[in-house]
Amino acid sequence: MTLVCLGFASALYLFAAFVGFTGRELGLGRWGIPLVLGLAVLLHGAGFYGLHLQQPPVSLSSFPAALALIGWGVALSWLVLHAWRPGLRSTGPWIAAIAASFTLPAELGLQLAVRRSDRGEAAAVAIWSHAHVLLGTAGFSLLALASFAGLGYLAKERGLKQRRSWHHGLPALESLDQAEHVTLALGFALLTLGVATGFAWSVSQGLDPWNRHTLFLSAAWAVYLVPVGARVLRQQRGPWPARGVVLGFLFLVCSYVGIHVIGAGS
Amino acid sequence: MKLFLVGLSYRTAPVAVRERYAVAPVHLVERDAKLVSEARLDEAALLSTCNRTELIAAARSDERALDYLHRFMREELGDGSAAPAQIYELRGGDVVEHVFRVAGGLDSMVLGEAQILGQLKDAYRAAVAARSCGPVLSRLFQHAFRAAKRMRSNTGLGASQVSVARVGVSLAREIFEDFADKQVLLLGAGEMAESALHGLREAGARRISVVNRTLASAVELAARHGGSAHALDALPAELAAADILIASVQVERPLLGSAELARALGHRRGRPLFVVDLGIPRNVAPAVAELEDVYLYDLDDLEATAERGRQQRASAAETARAIAREEAERYLAWLGALPHVPTVRELQERLLSLAKRELARAPAGDAAQLDRVAEALVAKLLHRPLERLRREAAQGTSSYYAAALRELFGLDEEEEE
Repeated sequence: MTLVCLGFASALYLFAAFVGFTGRELGLGRWGIPLVLGLAVLLHGAGFYGLHLQQPPVSLSSFPAALALIGWGVALSWLVLHAWRPGLRSTGPWIAAIAASFTLPAELGLQLAVRRSDRGEAAAVAIWSHAHVLLGTAGFSLLALASFAGLGYLAKERGLKQRRSWHHGLPALESLDQAEHVTLALGFALLTLGVATGFAWSVSQGLDPWNRHTLFLSAAWAVYLVPVGARVLRQQRGPWPARGVVLGFLFLVCSYVGIHVIGAGS
Repeated sequence: MKLFLVGLSYRTAPVAVRERYAVAPVHLVERDAKLVSEARLDEAALLSTCNRTELIAAARSDERALDYLHRFMREELGDGSAAPAQIYELRGGDVVEHVFRVAGGLDSMVLGEAQILGQLKDAYRAAVAARSCGPVLSRLFQHAFRAAKRMRSNTGLGASQVSVARVGVSLAREIFEDFADKQVLLLGAGEMAESALHGLREAGARRISVVNRTLASAVELAARHGGSAHALDALPAELAAADILIASVQVERPLLGSAELARALGHRRGRPLFVVDLGIPRNVAPAVAELEDVYLYDLDDLEATAERGRQQRASAAETARAIAREEAERYLAWLGALPHVPTVRELQERLLSLAKRELARAPAGDAAQLDRVAEALVAKLLHRPLERLRREAAQGTSSYYAAALRELFGLDEEEEE
């Protein structure tokens, strides 16, 4: 069930991206892409429920599950943002493409993880690990959206300065700035909780709390302090916080790759 | 039924003549009712905008209808001041294509403008209210609205802005999501600035301040738009609060340089400032564009964008014209088949009655089921001949086939028991 749901969700994300980029209409007017994305998010959620039902359950801290969670978080956060700021509609196809790019490889990886769990390789099911993974990936998803909004802001700003028209498909500068503000504030709060629960997890497992995993994550968190201080606390707008958010996310991605690909070292 | 159109527009008559033939929206229903009161027309509708006054009619006879429309135009709508060459007439397919092109904004002064579609809808509503609009014109209008929608969505016609003032508003929309809480500062109280302000007001701007060398002019303009007026020495303070600056004062050298603007922007924390410089010579030094968070556009920039918009519209209009022709052909096919509707209906009823009678003789069964079988059978039997009839009707050669059908199926004879 999990893999079928994730497969359909990926197909719907790809479909929404295709429809959006090719400018086709679904006969649903402006609600077409949000509806397709909403359906994909529901299927995606059902897929996670299936993972939970798996006996023994597949660990959410596995790399493919984390990827799938991020894809889900990005699409879900965008739907909430879109309900708040309809001006962000034109970014829908990009979000669908990003969600698909996370979900498709996750689905392939999960096939292997499910097979392993079928062979009885039980996953760690500590409460702290679940909290850490869920909060961390939710924060990661929102910060991915913040960096996407920041990139959009910088691109739009450049287009306006150069008096070109290629940027007209992007939302207004103000919409991008507000989307960046909200996603940065929420994403950073969730990432902070993710880092804190990561420490708690390490301690509960009797591990060194300053292992490579927590060090990578803490460093990324520290880098984010600069754009958060400027944009959220000082209410600074414009290209500088946008650059900070994009750079912060790049660092977070590097940390993530460090944790999951190079190795946690714990 | 034949279609006719008599009218005048900006292409044939100057505004001094057009204004004498214009009909106020409140009088449309009354004029429509009068138009069909003389029984020379079966259906009629009146379209009156600042750029055109047109009478669209459906009638059985040619010359009488056209004479009547010309007389109505001359005596009832206008004062006879239009020269004969200023009034045009169209017939048949030309009327359909013309109405579709008008609906799509292809015949408008500003190519692709959308306002005409609303005016055409008003004309249709008035004709319906006056009961002067029957099946032929109703279908014409409904088809025109669909064709206009297709032209706009398939070609991007109307997507780009073509006037300097509209380009300014459209650029402001690229920066701001909402204008209600934005401070608009007008530097100068000239016509150009007011024209740009009109567009921003329509888009929702409410907070307006006017700074001018002559305070009296600023007060006058601010009073018209519900804003505040200030003398030139208030400029730095107003600039610090502004989100949009429209500058259009007569100066010999730029009034605002990088230093002045940088000072004003000092405490804005990245809040963007959109500057539209409509002055000649320019009011704002070009170097200001280098400042972060300032988006400066002068007249040349706006005109270049408007010109690009005009070119895009001209290119989209070619495709839109082809759509108008295609849709006109579809409408004409329907109109051509219209006289045969009674024949087709009689034929279906006759065959259905025959089939049901035969089925009634069959052993007892579900009557409703048998009726459905009979209907399906008749539809299948008639599909090919009726399709052929429709095709011939589209080419205007259907009378022979319709007569043959009536003869072969004995539609003009009493039905046998």
